Amino acid sequence: MAERFIQRYWLMRALYLILCIVLIFMHLLPLDTQPSNWTGPDLVLAITFVWVLRRPEYVPVLLIALVALGMDLLFQRPPGLWAACVVMGAETLRNRVPTLRDLSFAAEWASVASTMVLITLAYRLVLSVLMVDQAPLGLSLMQLLFTLMVYPVVAFASGTLMGVRRATPGDLDANGRRI
Amino acid sequence: MAKDRGQGDDYTGPLKRLLLGVVVLCLLGLFLVWRIDSPRVERFRAQVVDRVVPSFDWAMAPVTGAVNILRDFQSYQRMYHQNQELRRELQQMKAWKEAALQLEQENARLLDLNNVQLDPRLTYVTGVVMADSGSPFRQSVLINVGARDGIMDGWAAMDGLGLVGRISGVGRNTARVILLTDTSSRVPVTIQPSGQQALLIGDNSAAPPIDFIENPDQVRPGDRIMTSGDGGVFPAGLLIGQLAEDPGGRMRVRIAADYERLEFLRVLRSYGHEDLNDPGHLIAPMLLPDEPDPDTPDTAEAASNG
Repeated sequence: MAERFIQRYWLMRALYLILCIVLIFMHLLPLDTQPSNWTGPDLVLAITFVWVLRRPEYVPVLLIALVALGMDLLFQRPPGLWAACVVMGAETLRNRVPTLRDLSFAAEWASVASTMVLITLAYRLVLSVLMVDQAPLGLSLMQLLFTLMVYPVVAFASGTLMGVRRATPGDLDANGRRI
Repeated sequence: MAKDRGQGDDYTGPLKRLLLGVVVLCLLGLFLVWRIDSPRVERFRAQVVDRVVPSFDWAMAPVTGAVNILRDFQSYQRMYHQNQELRRELQQMKAWKEAALQLEQENARLLDLNNVQLDPRLTYVTGVVMADSGSPFRQSVLINVGARDGIMDGWAAMDGLGLVGRISGVGRNTARVILLTDTSSRVPVTIQPSGQQALLIGDNSAAPPIDFIENPDQVRPGDRIMTSGDGGVFPAGLLIGQLAEDPGGRMRVRIAADYERLEFLRVLRSYGHEDLNDPGHLIAPMLLPDEPDPDTPDTAEAASNG
């Protein structure tokens, strides 16, 4: 049983990686070559946070860091900073998992919202302190807002389509033991 | 339960925290290195992109193509809106065209103010329009210059923009101008740039028709209509307007003169027309009135004597 469980979470890690790669791929498609004045949600961030809060063992730190760093490199962002922000945000949420497990979805959403706002602010603050050119404030705020709005949808889709639900009593944790 | 987890974290927790710290430090370090020594890290980034993006290449072209096809379908759906948009833009274009025409007219007026002499023999008397015909069937205006000012029948009347009509009926202080739109108005014209000769026939409408075009294939809407000077009715080369085609396919003239507001008319003095009062003789130009007078040397002698 433990072996099957371990297989399953390696499978889910691969699924996370594939999802992120597909999203990156969609971003890289040369469909819009003109500068646009609106932006969509950061789906990778939403998926990462959803999975971290549902099943922390599916998204280890190294995987999150790898994906975020890859996105930084591919999307011509300052390499490393946003990845560090995402990793720290994800770890903050990971530490809150035991608390949030017994609370409602609204509490989880509020917690995610505060984390996202904080990491976005920190990111922009560091960039402005180091005098790095950055995206317009309106665009980042718009992306933040869209990501927060899309968060429940991503949570629902992860739960129903990929079976990433909150661990319930009787499930096994990362070490194959009953919670 | 919580206690169990706490025990489980006893040996993995510090390791995980250490891992987290190392990862975050590495990321921040990379960022700082990039900030300090940007070219090196950018080269690294370029290498990563160079490795990663071409591996997407097999999928990118078909997916891009498919998405573009989908967008084309969407654009079919949007056709109605695009049509509306085009109509709106056409309206704006019409406004611009109107502005251009007004500028053209203003230009003509300014040329007029500068008193550009197209033909030194053409001098003019300016009169003020006093009245119109007072009847919907006759198109004429009355101006406040007449025989007292030397106005003669048959002279051309213009505003700043183009030909307005022809003096027909001169009183002592007034003269009547038969407009080009009057049913009795016939003006020989030249259509530029093809140079076709034709006749402008007034028919009591705002855009009188053109008839007797030599070769109708060579004219097209937008051509300029000038007086031709044939028959000596008018001096040649006065602007009348632009050719236009009405829905019935008949050629009409959009008159350049501002018929809405006829205020000041210039009556061109033209002495050049022939009188056909003796049909058996050769038609030759009359002698100019300012021909050298044979008496002039005598008066000069008298002046020197005096």
